[in-house]
Amino acid sequence: MKLLIVDDSTIIRSRIARALNHPKLAFIQVIGMARNGVEAVSLVMRHMPELVTMDLTMPEMDGVECTEKIIQLKPDCNILVISALSDKATALKTLKKGARGFLYKPFSDEALVAAFLELIGP
Amino acid sequence: MSSIDEKDIHSFVDAVSVYFHQITGEKAEIKAAYLVEGGVSATTFDLTGYISFSGSFSGRVYFSASRAMVSHLLLMMKESNHAEEQLLDAVGEVANTIAGNARKHFGSAMEISVPVTAVTPDNWLDTVVSPRSYVIMVKWKRYKASVVVDIRHE
Repeated sequence: MKLLIVDDSTIIRSRIARALNHPKLAFIQVIGMARNGVEAVSLVMRHMPELVTMDLTMPEMDGVECTEKIIQLKPDCNILVISALSDKATALKTLKKGARGFLYKPFSDEALVAAFLELIGP
Repeated sequence: MSSIDEKDIHSFVDAVSVYFHQITGEKAEIKAAYLVEGGVSATTFDLTGYISFSGSFSGRVYFSASRAMVSHLLLMMKESNHAEEQLLDAVGEVANTIAGNARKHFGSAMEISVPVTAVTPDNWLDTVVSPRSYVIMVKWKRYKASVVVDIRHE
């Protein structure tokens, strides 16, 4: 399963990539990392990933607009929003745009693995 | 334009507390918030990240910490690259997480910017924050950091 990681923080992108060393996530392969929504849309057009982790507050294009554009390009894409924006309205807004899961920052490695498994099944 | 109250400040204290507990598995010691006025200083450390607010609010929240503390936080995240760029990315991400979590209390009418980061000289915060800012001092292990909340309702 192809994964695209979208976050403007290098550290968060690395943490998400490292979580994939978990044996239960061995079938996921990172095909790219994007620092903003514009880069993300371009990478989705090129690689058509089945799975995307999506930050919300980013320069150039935010995660809400990016989620909407990705779903237009690939309606069955599994988008896991990983954001510090912990208000209910924001979570609902991204779910309406097509995201399928939401993980709040700060997160533990265990919570990240659990969020992946919940989204795509064991 | 109006200042924020004690409950508002508590949302930031809670966000700081949750951040350290979640990332390090340990509790940080958080000192009561105090106002920057009457000559009280907002303590500046080596690196500072801040988030600007817009929408129904204006102002900023700052997270300032020493290189040693940020480097140790990166270790806790199993991050082996501790170059200056990574340390700055980390203080920006801490500021972003604190601001984003506090938005649960303020609601989505509080819009938050992407983080801005800087290597900060001594007393830098005193030159940029308003006298009605609150300072939250954080102690984790042997390190100290400050979170400065400079925010107003529009």
